[in-house]
Amino acid sequence: MILIKLSWRNLWRHRRRSLVVITSVSLGIFAMILSMAFINGMNEQMVENTISTSLGHVAIHGFGYQKNMKLQNSFSPGRDISDALEGDRDVLGYAPRVKVKGMIRSSESSRGVIVVGIDPGRERKISRIDEYTSRDEGSGFLDDPSADEVLISRVLAKKLDLVVGDKLVLMIQDRENQIVGVGMTVRGVFQTPIETFDKFVVFAGLHKLQEITGLGDRLSEYTILVKDRNAVDRIRDDLIGRIGRKGLEVLSWKDMAPNLVSAIKLFDSMMYIFFGIIFLTVVFSIANTLIMAIMERFHELGVMKSIGTRPSWIFLLIMLEALQLGFVGLMLGVAAGWVTAGILNITGIDLSFYKESMRVWGTGSLIYPTIKSMDILVASLIVLMTTVLAALYPATRAARIKPLEALNYL
Amino acid sequence: MNIIEIQGLTKDYVNNGFSVPAVRGINVQVGAGEFTAIAVPSGSGKTTLLNIIGGLDRPTAGLVRVGGSDLSGMDARQLSDLRLRKIGFIFQAYNLIPVLSAVENVEYVLLLQGVSRVERRRRSEAILREVGLEKEINRLPREMSGGQQQRVAVARAIVSEPDIVLADEPTANLDQKTGESLLDLMHGLNRSKGITFLFSTHDPMVMERADRLINLKDGRILSDEVRGKKRAGTKTAKQAKTTKASRGKTAGRR
Repeated sequence: MILIKLSWRNLWRHRRRSLVVITSVSLGIFAMILSMAFINGMNEQMVENTISTSLGHVAIHGFGYQKNMKLQNSFSPGRDISDALEGDRDVLGYAPRVKVKGMIRSSESSRGVIVVGIDPGRERKISRIDEYTSRDEGSGFLDDPSADEVLISRVLAKKLDLVVGDKLVLMIQDRENQIVGVGMTVRGVFQTPIETFDKFVVFAGLHKLQEITGLGDRLSEYTILVKDRNAVDRIRDDLIGRIGRKGLEVLSWKDMAPNLVSAIKLFDSMMYIFFGIIFLTVVFSIANTLIMAIMERFHELGVMKSIGTRPSWIFLLIMLEALQLGFVGLMLGVAAGWVTAGILNITGIDLSFYKESMRVWGTGSLIYPTIKSMDILVASLIVLMTTVLAALYPATRAARIKPLEALNYL
Repeated sequence: MNIIEIQGLTKDYVNNGFSVPAVRGINVQVGAGEFTAIAVPSGSGKTTLLNIIGGLDRPTAGLVRVGGSDLSGMDARQLSDLRLRKIGFIFQAYNLIPVLSAVENVEYVLLLQGVSRVERRRRSEAILREVGLEKEINRLPREMSGGQQQRVAVARAIVSEPDIVLADEPTANLDQKTGESLLDLMHGLNRSKGITFLFSTHDPMVMERADRLINLKDGRILSDEVRGKKRAGTKTAKQAKTTKASRGKTAGRR
């Protein structure tokens, strides 16, 4: 107890210097937590937006569809699938889709797109396209899955010079590989947070697209939302077992979007580089402070050794001083970071200035930083370990002080 | 019983390639309960002698025993334990730990010895009362006078009941009155508790109060007197060299 008291009081012999170190440690932790929360928020929103616009959590495809998105890899819906999905407590909702590559043409221009046939009523339960669809100037979500109507993105509408109510030509290859052109009306205009999605995706009624492509009742996929996103792998495996039909593939969003998973890993790696810089700051500021403190107390440490303090106690004393410095800085930094990130999690960080860049990442321009307890725990452990590491050299030096030499040093 | 036994102690320092002798073949014994002063002019080897007895420095040649333990075979850790358990130190500049209060400074030694918290506090407060600092126990060194700080240093030195207290010019930084009072205190402790004190000093007042006075000059013992009476058999290394038969029979008992 005296050692803890002694080390604590030693810290405050140079109040200003200790405060500077504590401040730099806590600022480092604060910055680390905020950046961690920011990256987490970005990753989370990137994944959420992708799931809520296109992928869902889990999808059922015809076998080979993931590699080759052609109509021949479609499948027939059946009671085996719907029973398996409806009987699964983990499933929040599911919707059928047909996806086909094609082209849309207006009087001005044309664009290559992916046409997604949806059942509007069921689509609302699993995606946010309805929410992203404008309600201005007559724009609205699809109502009738058999109507000759399409939803196009704001960016496509601009490029093709189309407004709600305009006609366009949808050209796609049917099941017999024949090119089919159909006139459709623009029913609504949407804008999602993902730029690439908006550039290349057009929505049409499910039945209409099945009719145009000659698919009959066949589907490209069932898109499924589940209650717990973290359990997608288990749910996917459960579904594979429950459906049991051959010729199908059941994939999680991670299976379908490996690029997204890589992007998250890249962000995480960048974060670790940033952490490395912060930890170096912690190491040098603590080591520097301790070395200065030892030089100043050289005589005093000699006295302590001459009255019988073992080198291991001196080592422990210096380590305690370092740990207390690090711990106080850590606590202040964690508290400040937690509170700030918590507030920002509610208010969000508005990055509208970089709206277009944020749309490239698919995060949306309002980022909601998210803190994970495990991140805080890991960061705290790393900081404390870094502190111990930083103190090793000064503490060893202090432990090796020769008492006589130190007693003569004034 | 001898607390300190020194035979043929020599210490040379090497300076710019030259060997400079600090202590030259000293033979001396200090018995339990003695109140002995080593009187020296500055630079005559008394600090070296005290440092060697205290296990802070190693001799070039000779034998040193403290409390029956031969210091020559001890490593740094054993010497540290010896200082902790058998020797109390009082320094000229008090050398208290500045961030600990009076009682905590005294307790610190007991903490190193592994004494329980309650016992530590009880013994430390008792010893501080004994040295007249019952009102200052919670004061930090900077809140005390030099005399009070040196009393805390005395309390710290004796709290663990060591075999011997080594005091390096304990009154040098004190005015005469305070020095005298400190000397009274140490003498009282010597008488009441039988604690052995060995001082270095060039303060005539301390020399006068010592029960035994060893005069050192140029690293040799000039004289060794007990209350005005020359100790039988006291000799320098030079004398010891020429009279082999009498080697080791120096320093009588009180």
